[in-house]
Amino acid sequence: MKHLLACLLTAMSPWSAPAEAARPYVNDKKAPENRKDLETIQNALTSALGKARNATVCIELAQGSGSGVLVSEDGLVLTASHVSGGVNKDLTVVLEDGRKFKALSLGVVADTDAAMVKITDKEKFPFAEIDRNDSTRLGDWVFSLGHSGGFDKERGSVVRLGRLVRMTDSTYQSDCTLIGGDSGGPLFNLQGQLIGIHSRVGTNLPMNMHVPIQVFLKHWDGLLKAEFIGEGPFVKKPEKGKGFLGLATEARKEGGLTVTKVGKDTPAEKADIKEGDVLLKLNGTELKTREQFQGLLKEMAEGDALEIEALRADKPLTLTLKLGAR
Amino acid sequence: MHAKLLLPALVLALTARSFGDQNLETAYRSTGATVLAAFEPQRQVIQKSSAVIYDGRSEAIYGVVISPDGDILTKASELQDIKKLSVAVDDKKYPEVTLLGTDPRWDVAHLKIDASGLTPVTYAPTSAVPQGTWVVANGASTRTQRRVLAGIISAKIREISTAGGGALGVILKPNAKELEIAEVQDKSGAKEAGLQKGDVILALDGKKVAKLEELAAILKDRKAGSTAKLTYRRKNEETTVEVRLIARNEMTDDMNRNDAMSGEYSERRSGFPRILQHDILGAKSIVGGPLLDLDGRCIGMNIARADRAESYAIPVEDLKAIAEHMLKK
Repeated sequence: MKHLLACLLTAMSPWSAPAEAARPYVNDKKAPENRKDLETIQNALTSALGKARNATVCIELAQGSGSGVLVSEDGLVLTASHVSGGVNKDLTVVLEDGRKFKALSLGVVADTDAAMVKITDKEKFPFAEIDRNDSTRLGDWVFSLGHSGGFDKERGSVVRLGRLVRMTDSTYQSDCTLIGGDSGGPLFNLQGQLIGIHSRVGTNLPMNMHVPIQVFLKHWDGLLKAEFIGEGPFVKKPEKGKGFLGLATEARKEGGLTVTKVGKDTPAEKADIKEGDVLLKLNGTELKTREQFQGLLKEMAEGDALEIEALRADKPLTLTLKLGAR
Repeated sequence: MHAKLLLPALVLALTARSFGDQNLETAYRSTGATVLAAFEPQRQVIQKSSAVIYDGRSEAIYGVVISPDGDILTKASELQDIKKLSVAVDDKKYPEVTLLGTDPRWDVAHLKIDASGLTPVTYAPTSAVPQGTWVVANGASTRTQRRVLAGIISAKIREISTAGGGALGVILKPNAKELEIAEVQDKSGAKEAGLQKGDVILALDGKKVAKLEELAAILKDRKAGSTAKLTYRRKNEETTVEVRLIARNEMTDDMNRNDAMSGEYSERRSGFPRILQHDILGAKSIVGGPLLDLDGRCIGMNIARADRAESYAIPVEDLKAIAEHMLKK
């Protein structure tokens, strides 16, 4: 994990690749007036759509699915924090063509619903350009993409057209209608630049809310470093002491702890810890007593990474796993 | 069993910051009057070639005028509930309406009114237009004036099947040790069979089921419309009943969650051989009328308001074939 993050920090900066498509004049009209204005919107949309759609992904989790958008060639994905569900979570990212990749959630901004995910498989990915000039204005024509209701290869991601109807620092509202499964998907301007991420809807149709891209840019470094930024309501901070490993131990005379029981379907079982293994070190700290071991775990939370040095049949081995939820 | 992630309205208040809060006036929004005024040429086509189907004095659905002599196509399943049927085309109302036939496969009905000199739709040469192409449909309507709504083609042309397995129409208690029913859905086979909240499902077609996955595996290969023998326990008594299975895509609990935020939608919204998907989202009554391109040509016929964010239209190639077939009969 440390290695991966170091890579991310050096390889990725949001300030690369300039993107200069002209802002269509129709955005600066109060409303389209004639066929030419309508065709200008249509032509801009149809020419931007291919690239935008290739960068749009479905994010599959154990409990459902959302959407996201690739913003770098090496697989950085922006989504909503209520989709990624927190920091260091294992996810699956599905591309428009149906290819699936393993991914890990990085940081979240819990109070504005922003999140970042990194595909861990190595591959060159299609990606969308970000609007870095804060060029978005009220009334701009925009389009949304998303895997509404989940991934459907026959259908593809769904595109909808609308205008930006309300803007605050933390939220854009558009009249691109969203539905379940669209969460985390991208909102583009007519030049095909990413300007927001779908977050939530109101009960009537025009209430479609997006996280402005500025929120992501503002917190970019923290998101890359897999930080948990802000407090709720979109994602709950894992609480210390609520992490769950799922094994029982007893102290060994020669030092370390002998595993006496591994629970079924627990993080310990998934990490292939076996009864009889001797746990020597937890994240570098020597293990001496059960109480000390429990004390160390109590300081950790769900999703935290453990590196355990152990002995199995007198041979040393290193086990890595993440704490589950109690 | 998939939850599709999108939060409903719960946090709107939290984000309403007064600083830099800007609002676009309603008239300039995508469905606003000023924006829709740009579609006046298409509106004039709708005025002549989109019929309004009335139930008494209220507008029920729309229809496509396919001949000068009063032949109109509309959505068949929506006709069933109409008690006092009449039709308006342009500014004229026709109280005498005959149902000449229906096509259950496409959910299309053929109506006939006593008229002459009507303007039928002009068919577009193809429905294979790029996604993002503007489309226009009948929106609301006064007695004499049609209004329009505009949107774009949203997704690939495709079949909307009823396949994908049958559903019982129950929601199970989450994380329970047994398959305990938490809710029986209305209009479901489970309700008809008398299943109740608290019943525990034990077996399906004689096969014991203890886990959701086991139940889902059996249902996956069963067709909607068929029946299954379901054994359940209520107060320590075991009973076996026949349950009619319903199309999964109309009955699963995740769709219900999406439906809950969808407002009105068409009762029949699946089982179409081919559809064009667009993002014109009027009332449920938007269905039945023509879908036009910017040239005012008919690119399809609106056949279902699928949910909050999706509308379906029969593509023009299929619509033409249906119309020709209906007119021959």
